[in-house]
Amino acid sequence: MTECNPLHAAHYPDQARCTTVPIVENGPLARDTHRVRIQCPEIARTLVPGQFVMMRLAGFNDPLIGRALAVYDTFPDAVSQPAGIDVVYMVKGKFTHRLAECRPGQLLDVWGPLGNGFEAKAVDHLILVAGGIGQTPFVTVAQEALGHRQYGTPPRSNARCGRVTLCYGARSADMLAGVGDFEQLGVDVQLATEDGSRGHRGLVTDVLAGVLRGSHGSRRILCCGPERMMQAVAGVAAQHETPCEVSLESPMACGIGICFSCVVKLDDGQGGWDYRRTCVEGPVFDAAKIRW
Amino acid sequence: MSDTVTVSPSSVDLRVQLGRLHLANPILVASGTFGYAREMEHLVDLGRLGGILPKTITMAARPGNPPWRTVEASAGLLNSIGLDNDGLEAFIEHHLPYLAGLPTAIIVSIAGRTVDEFVAMAARLDREAGIAGLELNISCPNVSGGVDFGTDAGLCGQLVRNVLSACRIPVIAKLTPNVTRIADIAIAASEAGADAISLINTVQGMAVDWRKRKPILGNVLGGLSGPAIKPIALRCVHQVRQAVRTPLIGIGGIATIDDVMEFFVAGASAVQIGTANYYDPTVSMKLLDRLPAALSEAGAASVAELTGTLQLPARPSADLPSKPSGT
Repeated sequence: MTECNPLHAAHYPDQARCTTVPIVENGPLARDTHRVRIQCPEIARTLVPGQFVMMRLAGFNDPLIGRALAVYDTFPDAVSQPAGIDVVYMVKGKFTHRLAECRPGQLLDVWGPLGNGFEAKAVDHLILVAGGIGQTPFVTVAQEALGHRQYGTPPRSNARCGRVTLCYGARSADMLAGVGDFEQLGVDVQLATEDGSRGHRGLVTDVLAGVLRGSHGSRRILCCGPERMMQAVAGVAAQHETPCEVSLESPMACGIGICFSCVVKLDDGQGGWDYRRTCVEGPVFDAAKIRW
Repeated sequence: MSDTVTVSPSSVDLRVQLGRLHLANPILVASGTFGYAREMEHLVDLGRLGGILPKTITMAARPGNPPWRTVEASAGLLNSIGLDNDGLEAFIEHHLPYLAGLPTAIIVSIAGRTVDEFVAMAARLDREAGIAGLELNISCPNVSGGVDFGTDAGLCGQLVRNVLSACRIPVIAKLTPNVTRIADIAIAASEAGADAISLINTVQGMAVDWRKRKPILGNVLGGLSGPAIKPIALRCVHQVRQAVRTPLIGIGGIATIDDVMEFFVAGASAVQIGTANYYDPTVSMKLLDRLPAALSEAGAASVAELTGTLQLPARPSADLPSKPSGT
């Protein structure tokens, strides 16, 4: 491990690489949701759960700026070494529409892995809460917490958790993406849809409250999704006196700390607040420190 | 320079001189687009850069503007960061020791609300070692009063003169394109004795979400940067080059070696890479790799041989400034 950069969060790995790499596969996973597989062994080898990459179409000036995307998981080569990454994305803007049309072989500029990611901590019950496309950083978390995979160079400890639950909310059943991937890992998946087409009819916070009532021992909540949903989850976590970390999706222009776009209001520990950069000090923050 | 002269890439002299400021090469990174440089230490060989301009500092800490702070435009980026920084003393304590230890020129970008504040900052920085130059940010469109010195020739001249008399460090004035005649501001900076003039800062713009009937940027207005503004920046460098002899540093949408060479021909002695650092973090290294061959192709043994070699049509454009600078 290289010496830690004092401008970054304490456990920021500082192993980012800039690469121009080919798409291996790209196709739909659910409604408006696609998965792209990218050949990038250097990034895959050093990635830890909760980190993200910046991505753009190589050689094009429109769209110009890279997009920050969570890494869904790494995939292995023939000798079981990390060969690249899968990214699951929702098709909603200029970049993701273009990306959805890309075929294998198309080159992408990818830089990463970036951000602090989730620390590995052993607890009795790890509760993952996702809204919209916010399930994407949690596959690697579940892999690690349930002892299936290790990540990082050198590989970091698994920090095994007794039980892992995913509370996952979306608008409708056809927008739920990757539920089978979580179930296969042994994650207890609790779904909510706004239209009731699958799982609980209503909000994911209702599901979370139920899970917390039936949970015992040491607990930890990790949350990713729309800001209002994360704020609500932070509120439920506080009511149940459960530690909660959120992974923010602040709009970014560089992902590497040089543009100061992606700021979030954070408690400065002295009764005030300061804008802090999500990309290098996050994207994972203690929910209690965020001024929503 | 003639077509018959051949210059091998290995014999090209990359050094440039901007007034009292001597640089190892003409590729610099622009203020506000490179953090405090340390963020980039694992991606870029910082010592290879001709110079580094850390994010602009102000006398007191500023939280900056509320999000959203950036939004993409076609081939460009609108930003309204609002000079988010921890203030002069925090910069000296936390960032300058690292920067001063790098084997490259550190040019500190400063912004003041008044002439006295600029002068006080320059005098304070003059007491610190390891600073090669000061860039006066008189062109930030995203803070109240931020462009006053850049849009009024009289104020600009007074500011440059007072800062020069308050410190021994070479001084660069950074100009805004958001004026009617940029050459007038450049003449004022030049006559006041600026070592160099850098141009351009961002072009004022805005973005609207029509469904919500709201501006997208938290600060409503922002500054446009990136390839979209390169033609504006080239035009400004050209016009200013016609008006003053002070060395120019070209800024605005530079991302490729062709962009760099165009700015030299138009009149720049060096360039700063800005928004391209965001979407191609190692762009400065790629440009340094390609620069010797490009100068060789132009038959130039140094950047100075290429600077301002633009060949204009016989009939001069009617709206070029008529009064050359006294310097």
